[in-house]
Amino acid sequence: MDDKKKQELLDAFSEKLTNAVRLYMDGCTRCGTCIDSCHAYQSMPETRYTPVGRAQVVRRLFDRYFKLSGRIAPGMNEAVEFTDEWMQQVLDAAYSCTGCRRCMTVCPFGIDTQQIQGIAKHLVNTAGMTPVVLNMLADMSIAKAETIEDTRENFEQGVKNLEAEVIEKWKSEAGEDAIPIGAQDANVLYVALAGKHSIIPAAAVMNAAKEKWSLSYFEAVNFGAFAGNPAKTKVIARRIIDEATRLNVKEVAICECGTAYRVMKYMTGDHPFKVVSVVELFARYVKEGRIKLDKSKIEGGVTYHDPCQMARNGGIYDEPRYLLEQLTDNFVEMTPTREDNWCCGGGGGLVAMGEKDFRMKSSSVKVDQVKATGAKVLCTACENCHTQLSDLNEHYDVGVKVEFLSELLADALVSE
Amino acid sequence: MSNHDVAKTLDLKGLPCPMPVVKMSQEIGSVSVGQIIEVLTTDPGSISDFPAWAKSTGNEVLETVQGDPIKIYVKRLK
Ligand code: SF4
Ligand code: SF4
Repeated sequence: MDDKKKQELLDAFSEKLTNAVRLYMDGCTRCGTCIDSCHAYQSMPETRYTPVGRAQVVRRLFDRYFKLSGRIAPGMNEAVEFTDEWMQQVLDAAYSCTGCRRCMTVCPFGIDTQQIQGIAKHLVNTAGMTPVVLNMLADMSIAKAETIEDTRENFEQGVKNLEAEVIEKWKSEAGEDAIPIGAQDANVLYVALAGKHSIIPAAAVMNAAKEKWSLSYFEAVNFGAFAGNPAKTKVIARRIIDEATRLNVKEVAICECGTAYRVMKYMTGDHPFKVVSVVELFARYVKEGRIKLDKSKIEGGVTYHDPCQMARNGGIYDEPRYLLEQLTDNFVEMTPTREDNWCCGGGGGLVAMGEKDFRMKSSSVKVDQVKATGAKVLCTACENCHTQLSDLNEHYDVGVKVEFLSELLADALVSE
Repeated sequence: MSNHDVAKTLDLKGLPCPMPVVKMSQEIGSVSVGQIIEVLTTDPGSISDFPAWAKSTGNEVLETVQGDPIKIYVKRLK
């Protein structure tokens, strides 16, 4: 690796050196408490899959370039230089961590390995080693801000063609669009994903609640975050922020996508609108008596997988449980649950990257946890988790039905 | 009804996010420059995703035909 590239990597590392990161770098005592907390290590017991093992890959670079001992006598500690070989290890650490933050909850010093792996991703990106597919997806999202005008009418027609399926779940009032789009001054801008499964059930629930809402022209997910590229993350989020501001909406409701929710809620600053997860919105509808649900629709026990980006990293635990209690008398908690729930193993861009072999092997602990509930229905509220759990269900022959919470709600809607 | 000389058809109906675009980018190399891939999808989002993908990768969406499924015709340009 030449000096120019080393300097670029050093600059990239410096950009990320906040006070918190310095504490995470200096504060680890190697106590090992975090080791068993990572689903990947639980499922594949190799040192490189421990949180502290992953963090060390970055920390040893920190020791070399940002500590006095490393600068004057690099041989004295475990410091390492930027080399092509070491960057391979950084890549491995960055993209074998789903960013679930389960390790952080057990660390006596609150060391945030996810944030350390955020540095790893930034270094990987600076070295031009980011998995091609993640950059491709991020670039597509950015290009959409420019092509949206050319595709607007076609997209609107495609959405219009879904209205019959929405009305099948919930009759619309006369003169009301089943899927309003581009509506000025709506209460809610609903930001979905590309698939119709992300639009139809949510539309039915919002219409049943007589919400004044509008569908976004953009997809909720932010691939810039998966690619560890802060500049792209910002540009991608900006499309939705500008749309919501232009339409003068009160709230932006993010569909069932954990990363989309976390990025919009916690990583894009203050906005003239409120950011909620659609799960919070729907729980509010039930509490306010705006929708009624039939408890007899779901057969068998139901369990819930907390998406890490919504729950541990976003604080949404109670709303999905409240909703499930309205949907069934057979709700079974997983063990461990809530902040201690095991990650599904699909986050951090792994689902988009494919990586099926690693995803299946690194998540056997999740499979054991689901099986132990005896539930027939495995519900979640994140597209990424849904895909991973469906793959695990098939791969390990678990025999559950994996369902989105919005789909269960839409199917249980009743009129008074 | 469009009448494209299709080299390959990709059935991307009902796939979760972001698989339609991922599959497309994996498959575009399997046809020659100038050839056309026909995409079958049920996702309205794909209607705006594919032109954005084509712009950022230097390919071209020739036509989008509404219906069930939606058909999108993509020409490999490089
Ligand atoms: S954030 Fe999750 S995946 Fe990453 S090291 Fe910690 S426990 Fe493992
Ligand atoms: S629990 Fe915290 S202090 Fe202990 S090894 Fe893990 S990161 Fe370091």
